[in-house]
Amino acid sequence: MYYDLHIHSCLSPCGNDEMTINNICNMAIIKGLDLISITDHNSTLNLRALKKISESTGIKIIYGVEVQTIEEVHILGYFKTLEEILVFQKWLDDNIIKTKNKPEYFGNQLIVDENDKVINSYDNLLLMSINCNIEECCKTIHKYGGKVVLAHVVDRTNSICTQLGFIPKNLKFDGIEIKNFEQKEKVENIHPWLKNKFWFINSDAHQLIDISERENFISKESLNEFWR
Amino acid sequence: MQVNELIIKTGWKNVTTSSNTSREIEGAFVGDLLSFVMGNGDTDNAWITIQAHINVVAVAVLREFSCVIVCENIDIDKSVIEKANEEDLVIISCSLPIYECSKKLIELGI
Repeated sequence: MYYDLHIHSCLSPCGNDEMTINNICNMAIIKGLDLISITDHNSTLNLRALKKISESTGIKIIYGVEVQTIEEVHILGYFKTLEEILVFQKWLDDNIIKTKNKPEYFGNQLIVDENDKVINSYDNLLLMSINCNIEECCKTIHKYGGKVVLAHVVDRTNSICTQLGFIPKNLKFDGIEIKNFEQKEKVENIHPWLKNKFWFINSDAHQLIDISERENFISKESLNEFWR
Repeated sequence: MQVNELIIKTGWKNVTTSSNTSREIEGAFVGDLLSFVMGNGDTDNAWITIQAHINVVAVAVLREFSCVIVCENIDIDKSVIEKANEEDLVIISCSLPIYECSKKLIELGI
């Protein structure tokens, strides 16, 4: 299956307003992707619409969210069901550091339905951190049945390598997100102890044009292995 | 100035049981992005930060900092303190914001 498991919708303030769920799904279909995940910052409020559109278009989805830890590291939480991720959402709501969004600075945070109609706009800024350290965040994702992938690990902003210098040896996580295969070698060189991790190449798209092309493949067996 | 002298003069708390308090403080370094601190911190500096992740201990040992000062009364996890004790690294907790903490060090001649 060709995938892109890190896409921001119009709910993320930094996501383009054109990133409605239909637009994302249809662009992914045009690009020939089989499996996508919409991973907004600290919120899953557009995933109900995603579930409906996935059912009507047939594109496969993973329920995801991009969590910002207190160290300002971005990690991706992936869940098999909407029910599971909504329970996790409650924990995010309880622990996010609350401050109001200023759309004129940070951008809109739009909640849409399956017809791309804006049904609400989220008031608190989603770019804030969850008031828990990365270990606690990973533990909680696992507790609610999810999997943890370290987002864009060598990026200059909000990556684990920038914020924390390197991946802590005892951190419990499942996968590593990179932008290309050269980065894999780089990460392995710094962390020779990394074994049995899943590697994902995702777009981190904030606008439609940036969604991945039909380039990155994961077999059904590997995906089953990831969920195990 | 030695680490123990800094603790006495400021009243800030050594949250570890590390005995390495006679280390000289030659200067101070401020930073929260550990990758940057790893690349730029100087030996025998007191490191002022609001970062309290366990990797702070590894970075401080690697850069041979004389101690770490965690500002703003930020919670320091037990696992971090245990790791610091293992490495004989002094971590000082301070209620001041980073700017005020830096001013205090300057006032003390660091």
